Amino acid sequence: MPSPTGIVFDLQRASLDDGPGIRTTVFLKGCPLHCTWCHNPESQKPGPELAFDAAVCTSCQACVTACASGVHTFDATGRHTVGFDRCIAAGACLTACPSGALRLYGGEQSVEAVMAEVVKDRAFYTASGGGLTISGGEPTLQIEFCLALLQAAKAAGISTCVETCGFAPRESYGALLPLTDLFLFDYKATNPELHAQLTGSSNALVLANLRWLHAQGAAVRLRCPLVPGVNDDADHLRAVAALSTELTGLHGVEILPYHESGTGKYERLGRARPPFAAMVPDSAVLARWRETLSAHGCRLSPGTTDRQPDISASP
Amino acid sequence: MNMKCLPDLSLDAILAGAPFGESYASPLSFERHLTEVHRAHAAAYPAERELAMLQAQFPAVLQPIAGDDLLAGRIFYPLVSFSPEPGGLGYACREEAIRQVLAECALAADDVAEVEVMLEYWRPRTTAARTRAAFPAQVAAALPSDNWFGEPGAGFPLYRIAGTVLDYAKLLRLGLPGLRSEVLARLDSVPPEHESGPFLRGVLGACDVLAVSLHTYAAQARALAADCGEAGRAADLHRIAAACAAVCDRAPETLFEACQLAWLYALHSGTWNYGRVDLWLGRFLANDLSAGRTTEDEALRLFCSWWRLMKAYDNQYNNRVFIGGLGRGTPAEIAAADRFALLAIEATRRVHLNQPQLSLRFHSGQNPALMDLALTAIGEGCTFPMLYNDDVNMPAVARAFGVSEDEAVHYLPFGCGESTLAGRAVASPNGVVNLPKALEMALRNGYDPVARRFAGPRTGDSAGFSSFEDLWQAYAAQAAHVVAPLAEHQRIEYAVAGGEAPFLFLSALTDDCLGRGQPLLSGGVRYLAATLETYGNTNAADALHAIDRLVFRERTLTLPQIVAACDADFEGPAHSAVRRALLVVPKYGNDDDSADAMARRVHEQICRLAAEQADRVGLKAHLVVIINNWANVVLGSHTGATPDGRRAREAFANGNNPASGADHHGVTAFLNSLVKLDPCLHAGAVQNMKFSRELFTRHRPKLEALLTGYWASGGTQAMITVVSPADLAAAMAEPEKWGHLMVRVGGFSARFVDLPRGAQEEILRRTCYG
Repeated sequence: MPSPTGIVFDLQRASLDDGPGIRTTVFLKGCPLHCTWCHNPESQKPGPELAFDAAVCTSCQACVTACASGVHTFDATGRHTVGFDRCIAAGACLTACPSGALRLYGGEQSVEAVMAEVVKDRAFYTASGGGLTISGGEPTLQIEFCLALLQAAKAAGISTCVETCGFAPRESYGALLPLTDLFLFDYKATNPELHAQLTGSSNALVLANLRWLHAQGAAVRLRCPLVPGVNDDADHLRAVAALSTELTGLHGVEILPYHESGTGKYERLGRARPPFAAMVPDSAVLARWRETLSAHGCRLSPGTTDRQPDISASP
Repeated sequence: MNMKCLPDLSLDAILAGAPFGESYASPLSFERHLTEVHRAHAAAYPAERELAMLQAQFPAVLQPIAGDDLLAGRIFYPLVSFSPEPGGLGYACREEAIRQVLAECALAADDVAEVEVMLEYWRPRTTAARTRAAFPAQVAAALPSDNWFGEPGAGFPLYRIAGTVLDYAKLLRLGLPGLRSEVLARLDSVPPEHESGPFLRGVLGACDVLAVSLHTYAAQARALAADCGEAGRAADLHRIAAACAAVCDRAPETLFEACQLAWLYALHSGTWNYGRVDLWLGRFLANDLSAGRTTEDEALRLFCSWWRLMKAYDNQYNNRVFIGGLGRGTPAEIAAADRFALLAIEATRRVHLNQPQLSLRFHSGQNPALMDLALTAIGEGCTFPMLYNDDVNMPAVARAFGVSEDEAVHYLPFGCGESTLAGRAVASPNGVVNLPKALEMALRNGYDPVARRFAGPRTGDSAGFSSFEDLWQAYAAQAAHVVAPLAEHQRIEYAVAGGEAPFLFLSALTDDCLGRGQPLLSGGVRYLAATLETYGNTNAADALHAIDRLVFRERTLTLPQIVAACDADFEGPAHSAVRRALLVVPKYGNDDDSADAMARRVHEQICRLAAEQADRVGLKAHLVVIINNWANVVLGSHTGATPDGRRAREAFANGNNPASGADHHGVTAFLNSLVKLDPCLHAGAVQNMKFSRELFTRHRPKLEALLTGYWASGGTQAMITVVSPADLAAAMAEPEKWGHLMVRVGGFSARFVDLPRGAQEEILRRTCYG
């Protein structure tokens, strides 16, 4: 039986912030949540999608003839309009474009192709206690591929992490459990209505999955994106701390301070950025989070709130 | 590089310079005096002529003990001199600088006339001129110019005996009297009229020259101490005086005496790479500490002063001080050396200068405290120490030089990163090769579009190349056209320099000169080897890879299209489309199998081409070095656009590195690419890495793991700059505020704000990891 293929939108080697040690992070496309602060909007849709960087376009119009779907049009002033809704991600315009203004996020890849890249850094995994991290999007949306990749990594003796938003069927976690050395489990808001407002869904399933995984003895590290003024209220911070004391087997809590590196991507994908006005947290805010969390007994992973907001960016 | 390795030439210093002797009565009078000495000894034995020059130079060229110096020993080379390298090769006359002096100070007409006579005298008589005059016609034709700095070309000869590292352990063990005794014993063992007589007597004379300098400094130190109102400083000066006097009569007994003797010997020898300093000073430090003669603080103070003196000697490319590594003796000796090594790193952290080029050799069994402190220093932005992996380098050096691993334990990178075997080899880098220029001419049937002439052999019209191998053969032929004559040049240069002078100070501390009774370059040195600097290796490889892919595999472009686009510097829509196509082909530095395979092929071809010259010309080894200084900028500025997408006149990639900004698959991919180039084929390749400060602070364990993985994969060495791109940009905008910012340029470190704009931009473009 041929191994399943997946839609991968990035493979980032030398990841330092996606689990222990030095890792290769494979980003799978598709996400059931749509967080207002999402810095990887290209991860949300399940299929490959076109991105256009107007700043680089030279209006040469090579894409017009290359595209069979009539996606690219130019007005009399040479302004390039991209009909994203007509795009079937055939990719012909990318090859034609001489300036690199067009790119495709996401391509079908085999387990073997991904593993061929992953194994290249074995020496660094060995030296650092690192390995493979599967991230997204939400990896469980491509559960067959995700499992096959984890199996291949295990067979190659490479340690595995799965980063998940927690919003997935229980069966998926059951299948991941024996193949995953560490879950990086997102926890985004405590108030269910706020969670729904910020991500599109309630947190009930997320919390149920978290407790279930913990009960199974899975290694889980909580990852909490914090956005000043949006989800950093004291109730939430206290709840995070409470989870950390309740779930005694938890492998620490990591804070992911909000950053703005993804803001330009919405435009390039032809989408409006969700209405959102947050500040990148300064050191005073980071200190306040740390104090509140620690005061309530939260077991922060070392260095977690020292992280500079600009470097936790996935691509 | 030859022209740039000379000490800073400050006209003010020449004019205002109060030389130690009173020889600079008026500008250029000392040079005229040295010229007369040379003329008077024209018919003498080479050893006698050299000795006469040394006697005339020393102590006159030595400068007074200054400021807070804790060691005596500053030097200022005149514009006519004898040295292996600092003043120019052998007998050297720096006409350009002399003309500058003539232009800027009003000499009497008679004096000007005398200077002109002097210049006339030297023109055919400098060792460099005699070397070029000895070129056979085909070498002269293939290497028409020495001006690599100012003219385009694929290959240039350099004139120097660079990188010799002397046996200071022997000097300190024997002391001057012991060294003399060894020479006397050797003299006794040969008949009175034996051919080695003049050479051995010359070495005795050189010892006397050094003794005179020591006594002169002793006297100056005493005089300064007598006038010094500050008790602490007076004590320092008395210590200098006592040490200088003592080491004339016996072997050094204290750390201070040992430093003083070695330092002055180095200055007299004209060498500026000091070898395994922890090895030769460790025991003195340990003895002094256990005897209570010094403290670690006091030793540190001494090293800080010494480091500053090194910077005054050569402020850029040399001053290699090695610590750590295999072959440092018994456990007790290693412990003593480690103690020195830790203080040496500490001194580098304190002085925070671009000199000396502290370098750490390490191996899997080494005391981890050395690497730990080294990484701390690097993380603070010192750029030092540079790191050398003995586990990989020793076998590689053994293979490359064709020596046993027992001898390879003496490997030491000098200058910008070329390896030699300390105390037993000469491996001077005396040639420069521009590989993208070879490709540029291969694509144009030997025509150099920048020089606008046919400079290379006619290797065929590239439009007619039917396979990649056709192009490859043309490229290889263009490279061979300069590599083969450069090897001959190297041998000729050694022969001419050896005929001119025995290089007494070098010979006295290099195996097996005294034992054989033969000078360094005339049968004395155990291994007469050479290194060849190649530049633009990465650009040549990326360009060849792009051509192979687009022209011969995918057939989406033709060679004439690519040549036309390069000729147009990619200007215009059609040509910029060609550039875009060239740029998207994967490049070396991304762990891409195809791109890295071409890098390997280019690497192996040029390394083997150089190495196979050794037997032909009569050298132990003739090895490529992939280093950097300015040459990637300079040679790039003389080279048109290249088929890797590089624009005309842009800098080449630095050393062994990916082209700036071409590596974008992360630091592990970058490191994996680096280790694919076989280190057994060459004598050194610099591996520059730019890391964020955060990698050294928040991610320190991961940084250590990253390096561990790199070493385990075969990483040879690392030269690490720790800086943020924002710092660099700010330093370019406000240089006055960023004087402390140190960066690694390739083969040397520099204050960022001192670099020319082009080099600053090149560093800014280099990928910063972490």
